[in-house]
Amino acid sequence: MTTQVQTLGATRTNERLGAVVLAALFGLGLVFMAGFAPAQALHNAAHDFRHTQNFPCH
Amino acid sequence: MILRLLSAALAAGFLAAVVATGLQVALTSPLIIEAERYESGTAHSAALPLAPARFEGALLHRAHLHLAHGGESHDHGGAPAWQPGEGLPRILFTGLATLVGGVGYALLLGAVMLALGRDPTPERALAFAVAGFVSVGLAPALGLPPELPGSEAAPLATRQAWWLMTALATAMGLYLIAIRRAAVTILGGLVLIVAPHIAGAPEVAAAKSELPAGLAAQFAARSLAVGFVFWAVIGLSFGWAWQVFGRERPIRV
Repeated sequence: MTTQVQTLGATRTNERLGAVVLAALFGLGLVFMAGFAPAQALHNAAHDFRHTQNFPCH
Repeated sequence: MILRLLSAALAAGFLAAVVATGLQVALTSPLIIEAERYESGTAHSAALPLAPARFEGALLHRAHLHLAHGGESHDHGGAPAWQPGEGLPRILFTGLATLVGGVGYALLLGAVMLALGRDPTPERALAFAVAGFVSVGLAPALGLPPELPGSEAAPLATRQAWWLMTALATAMGLYLIAIRRAAVTILGGLVLIVAPHIAGAPEVAAAKSELPAGLAAQFAARSLAVGFVFWAVIGLSFGWAWQVFGRERPIRV
């Protein structure tokens, strides 16, 4: 019983850690793409968004 | 849990993007387009005036390149880089960028809340979203006010570095103050929040600009307002979506 509870706890913690890491990486990647990516085409596409959301632009 | 987090972030990012794109089209894009009209007269000279002595090495070099390209991109006559056409395409790509940014912010919001063990209800997520707005919107804007095209001063890389540093320090400071809540951490949090501003932001445009000051002021205020609504909708709808998507999934063992 005790063992089972501990295992469940560990699994849920691992699952949460995985979700947190994945979401953080995805999130950083998307924000970088929309707000910081230096590629000209990306900059031009996101131009008005960058200015409005106060990302440094140009 | 990963699926729940991703779906909630997608839903929140989408809703926030719909609202924020509408606000951008109505409030800030017209100002940007008007500013570009002023800029296009001076596009080429605006790409050059830097004070190279203050910045060194690769940073300077990269910043120069970016700035030069940035100036070029506003030159609507025959710039080599792709850019969305005026009118609807431009609005659509602004919306797309807002969607990408919104989903990104929502994912970060969810990641932070889960990492801190806070179950995202709409109320709690809204509180975290306000902290997010303060970190990436308000605090960097104290040193680098939202700028219209054509009014930039310091090199891009310098401003991006200061922006990132300020956002991180403010977020960490808010965490130390609001979540840890011990005397020492509150003191440390305050120091972290204030430090980037004492260190000083890259120089704000002091050079004379053709841009009317009223236009720039209006843009700064509207941009912060749009940013706040953007974050508020992200927070509220992330909390809402997290609860909705959780209801369909019974507790898994």
